[in-house]
Amino acid sequence: MAFLARMWTLFTRYNSFFSEGIKNTLIIAFFSVVLGTIFGTLMAMLRMSKVKPLRYLATAYIEFIRGTPLMVQLMFIFYGLPMTGIKIPDISWIPNFSRFAAGIVAMSMNSCAYVAEIIRSGIQAVDHGQTEAARSLGFRQSQTMTMVVLPQAIKNILPALGNEFVTVIKESSIVSVIGIADLMFRSKDVIAVTYISLETLAIAAILYFVMTFISGRFVSLMERKMSNGTK
Amino acid sequence: MEQNNPMIQVNHLCKSFGRLEVLKDISTTFQRGSVVAIIGPSGGGKSTFLRCLNLLEKPTSGEIIFDGVDICDKKTDINLHRQKIGMVFQQFNLFNNMNVLRNLTAAPVKIKGMAPAEAEEKALKLLNRVGLGDKLTAYPAQLSGGQKQRVAIVRALMMNPEVMLFDEPTSALDPEMVGEVLDVMKALADDGMSMIVVTHEMRFAREVSDRTIFLSDGIIEEDKPSHELFANPESPRLVSFLSKVL
Repeated sequence: MAFLARMWTLFTRYNSFFSEGIKNTLIIAFFSVVLGTIFGTLMAMLRMSKVKPLRYLATAYIEFIRGTPLMVQLMFIFYGLPMTGIKIPDISWIPNFSRFAAGIVAMSMNSCAYVAEIIRSGIQAVDHGQTEAARSLGFRQSQTMTMVVLPQAIKNILPALGNEFVTVIKESSIVSVIGIADLMFRSKDVIAVTYISLETLAIAAILYFVMTFISGRFVSLMERKMSNGTK
Repeated sequence: MEQNNPMIQVNHLCKSFGRLEVLKDISTTFQRGSVVAIIGPSGGGKSTFLRCLNLLEKPTSGEIIFDGVDICDKKTDINLHRQKIGMVFQQFNLFNNMNVLRNLTAAPVKIKGMAPAEAEEKALKLLNRVGLGDKLTAYPAQLSGGQKQRVAIVRALMMNPEVMLFDEPTSALDPEMVGEVLDVMKALADDGMSMIVVTHEMRFAREVSDRTIFLSDGIIEEDKPSHELFANPESPRLVSFLSKVL
């Protein structure tokens, strides 16, 4: 009980720390999810392309990204790239733009690889007989994809994609290492000021949970909407 | 009279999967209006041969002349020819994301530009003929195997094909549903539809088809009018095959 009370006091006193952290976490997660999904879809198309070099390139990218730690990728982009002469410019009216850009680029490059695999496996899980039936009637490859395969693949893809969104929110805590004031970063600030770590971390955990829970619910709502009409 | 102008002429068709030769230099013809059964042991190349006829399987070499055009030629628009070749699969392959009506109307409307109302009317008429007029709004998952296969036959018919290919249409069905599908196929044959049927139903081959091809190990072992082939099998392989399945 005393523990909860201390948590509440901390939460109200350092409210502005936590709310700024949440805001930045959501910004990072939102852009990473959107960009990761867009580029992941493109990457999945390359991965299934009939042109061999494109397919190999995409496969190599996906395998490499999935086989290396996000932490390394993040540091590589934020610390490594500037050393090779590629600098992310600062934009005066967006504070900390270069940090945020590096964080979002690394997160979405990472998420892109996972999304690509989710989409590819979702499409390939649709029985090949469906494609054959459509082609045997005279549908072109593209018509077969949009009318028959994708509507069925969506049902395989959405739940896994929802999981990926939740994962991105949680994994985004890693950007605190490059100095982005996300929820994890600001929680550590609170600990540094108050020396109260357990309660602060508990607050951070609860806040992360609320974010992932709400977005998880939202995704399953979308799932139900999308699968209406098909049995 | 049509002997000189076959609907499909197959010349020296070969198909290999990697090093495995599945079809070894097959040549034959199919006449308009005839019903041809293809029988033979599993793995003998029956299905592969049938799937080559609409290029679901790409032949390794050889020609398939359909309506005077070699469909294996890269310049041929295969989508155009597939519209004239209906196909029915062992696993039905109805589009799971569409109800029966949309399964039937999608191709004629999207490919041939048929008016939706006209397509629906036609769908209903054909469905009634196979006894499924009440299933318009059902989804494939709500149908039995026999019903699915009858819908699949109607789906192919919706495109007014010149020939229908059947790839073991009753092999995935429960025994009590085989009859209803065979009845539909028999009615089609009586209507004069050109049909090529890969089947294990020897009764269908003997009684309904005009001609039966025995395909074994990638070659045509025997090819005769059905009643003759079943009454007088010549090749020892066919004799032993028939003794096992009859």
